[in-house]
Amino acid sequence: MFENLALGFASFADPMVWAAVFFGAFAGYLIGAIPGLGPSLGIALLIPFTYGMDPVVSIVGLVALYVAAEYGGAISAILINSPGTAAAVATAWDGYPLTKSGRAGEALTVSIVSSGMGIVVSTLFLVATAVPLSEFALKFGPGEYFALALVGLSLVSGLSTGSPVKGAIAMFIGLALATVGLDVQTGVPRFTGGNPDFFEGLPLVPILLGLYALTEVLVMIEDGAAAKTKSAPIKKLLAVPMSTLFGLKTVIARSSLIGYVIGVIPGAGPSIAAFLSYAISKKMSKTPEQFGKGSLEGLSSSEAANNAAVPGSLAPLLALGIPGSATAAVMIGALMVQGIQPGPLLFTKSPEIPYTIFASLWVGVPVMMFLGLAGARVWAKVADIPRPAIAAIVAGICFVGAYASSNSMFPVYVMVAAGLVGYVLRKLDFPLAPVILALVLGEMMEINFRRALITTQGDWAVFYSSPLTGILLAMAALAFLLPAFGALQGFVRKRRAA
Amino acid sequence: MTVWNFRTTVSAAACVAALGLGFAGPVAADDGWKPTGPVSFVMHTKPGGGTDVMVRALAHSLEPMIGQTLVVENAPGGGGATQMAKVRAAKPDGLTLGVNTVSHFTAFLTNLDGVFSADDFAWIALMQVDPILVFSEKDSAVTSITDLVELARSKPGQVNIGGFGPVGSMQHLGMTMLEQEAGVVFNWVAFESTPDIIAAVMGGHVDAGVANLGPVIEFFEADRLKGIGVLGDDRLSSVPDMQTFGEQGYNVDTSWLQVRGVFGPKDIDPALQQQIADAIFTAMEADTYQTYARSAGVEDGTHGPAEYTAFVERILTIAEAQLKAANLLSQ
Repeated sequence: MFENLALGFASFADPMVWAAVFFGAFAGYLIGAIPGLGPSLGIALLIPFTYGMDPVVSIVGLVALYVAAEYGGAISAILINSPGTAAAVATAWDGYPLTKSGRAGEALTVSIVSSGMGIVVSTLFLVATAVPLSEFALKFGPGEYFALALVGLSLVSGLSTGSPVKGAIAMFIGLALATVGLDVQTGVPRFTGGNPDFFEGLPLVPILLGLYALTEVLVMIEDGAAAKTKSAPIKKLLAVPMSTLFGLKTVIARSSLIGYVIGVIPGAGPSIAAFLSYAISKKMSKTPEQFGKGSLEGLSSSEAANNAAVPGSLAPLLALGIPGSATAAVMIGALMVQGIQPGPLLFTKSPEIPYTIFASLWVGVPVMMFLGLAGARVWAKVADIPRPAIAAIVAGICFVGAYASSNSMFPVYVMVAAGLVGYVLRKLDFPLAPVILALVLGEMMEINFRRALITTQGDWAVFYSSPLTGILLAMAALAFLLPAFGALQGFVRKRRAA
Repeated sequence: MTVWNFRTTVSAAACVAALGLGFAGPVAADDGWKPTGPVSFVMHTKPGGGTDVMVRALAHSLEPMIGQTLVVENAPGGGGATQMAKVRAAKPDGLTLGVNTVSHFTAFLTNLDGVFSADDFAWIALMQVDPILVFSEKDSAVTSITDLVELARSKPGQVNIGGFGPVGSMQHLGMTMLEQEAGVVFNWVAFESTPDIIAAVMGGHVDAGVANLGPVIEFFEADRLKGIGVLGDDRLSSVPDMQTFGEQGYNVDTSWLQVRGVFGPKDIDPALQQQIADAIFTAMEADTYQTYARSAGVEDGTHGPAEYTAFVERILTIAEAQLKAANLLSQ
């Protein structure tokens, strides 16, 4: 293994490989920062550039882009409360409150350091366990996937602040929205009103843009050009003392491990990783009350986990040729252009490819952190732009981003509708995260639930006969029931006191 | 980033790639296709899928031939409806074309019946054909189509076949043809991507899977999966041991193939259609395209406008009969 790793690092003797890392990281950083664009689009755009390039150079560039774009999503989440991907939703919870209290520079610094460390730690796990863990992930059948999605959903109760009833209602709104579209097993249109635009379900990116970004614009308009806190300029190399970052080491290590393991399971991805690690960090924290109000721990756990999921999603891709995420699936296309078909033989047939990717993940981190820290100075000033101007710019991004997602008007209408619904929900104090979480997980839950029953001819034993499913379902049940029980207890106590 | 920028980036990227690498491929004859502006290929998929990669590989040799950039415009959504609406509304000048698969034809009969029909479009060139095959896990007792059929006979409706798309999809209809021929019933388990099917077969969650060759060939070579039968006239050259359905005694219509083709709005001048088809077929001879196509495991198609239109009619007839037989269409 060490020989092969040396082989991977040896690729960096070629200056073109360095150029690819810099270019990839820079392009990814910008693409990720724009809500509506994302890593999979970025890679697809870069594919034509890679024709005829040396395979190693092009792959290194694409990996750097993937990693940096996954990080870039944090920037818009922190600055304007507009996560560009579902994975950055949890980042906005603490990042945006920090920006509002004039600590944008701090938030950006913590996010880039956590992301970078998340990748470094996760890549360490990747090198050591890519093959065995990917083989283990094959044990995940429909029953296990259903249980995993349910665990993800159960986090809603742990994460939503305020009324648990409102959290539950928001979750059911998300689940209801997830049922729109062609039925995956039978192909029957559901709630489409005969309009083909609804066949593939409600598109996620426009809903994210509407629910978060457009809603935020409406709130900004309502607040008017109110006096706001000016963000503190970054004076030293880092906006936060080294000791603060060092204090986050346990959070980062734990979140990276969670991010990596969840990332390896094909289809689970960075959003479940971020929510799960956020929930666990909140449970373990000495100051859980700070979560959602600008906790550096919360911000760090979300960012470390969603970036750690990237090397995780590369594990089944490199070990077995099965992509762990939508972006990893696009990577397969990019590799095929190079005449490399990822499959179970990649490690034996062309070990230089996986080991160069491992090396480039490590080499890419300092580059990305340099860009991130330099960029933080610029971005932190964005927070100082007068609100009416910000509102106009964000609204513009919402419309263009939604249109660009399929070059048609339908997603734009979806975005506007989601924005109006989001505004009403916010006014009524409903949390928005459960809507997104349920929308992301609802489809995964439903299709796997049905697939499990279809493959066993309707035998419910599929949900308790496998120990893996059993454990996951028990976890989900506890996560749902404990807060409900706590709420009931509080209610009873209040009644008694009255 | 504006949409304008977004599109220019794509074409500029393709341009840089073509110019910077010293393209040396076939050159068009004087009477060849000479479009007057950039040519848009409208896709029904998001960037990065198999169809997308095909067009980008083609662009590499087609652009210098026709002297225009080729713009890949992704218009996913509506089960192809977003793309088809754009192509149908375009001027028939050959500057707006679309890429289709068999799912377009089945959609004309099912979900998009009454919205679009084959007559709304000109079917210009059949670029790729890709037979479907059935595979099982390497240690599975199922080593042939006969084994699979016998298993289904011993426990009707309980043999799980994982495949792409819902009931009524291209792969599902292929399996219903086998069901009818063998007189058995399988249990169809729908998946949304081929890698998911591969993972489910390797993990033992379904008994067999359906796929095209490209995504599974590495797994055959690595001895993780084995091919148990291909729906085609001949065996596949890269998997010579895998018998056809016919060789195993199951006579299923072998024109039921996955395809990728190019289509346009219906009023394109037939002479122009022929020029476009010729240009595409010449561009497909370039090394870059051939390298891509061989690694993707697809066969080159050769049907120009007349043959492709006839092919589409034939596919629609088979699909309609199959959908009716499977009770997915009113009689």
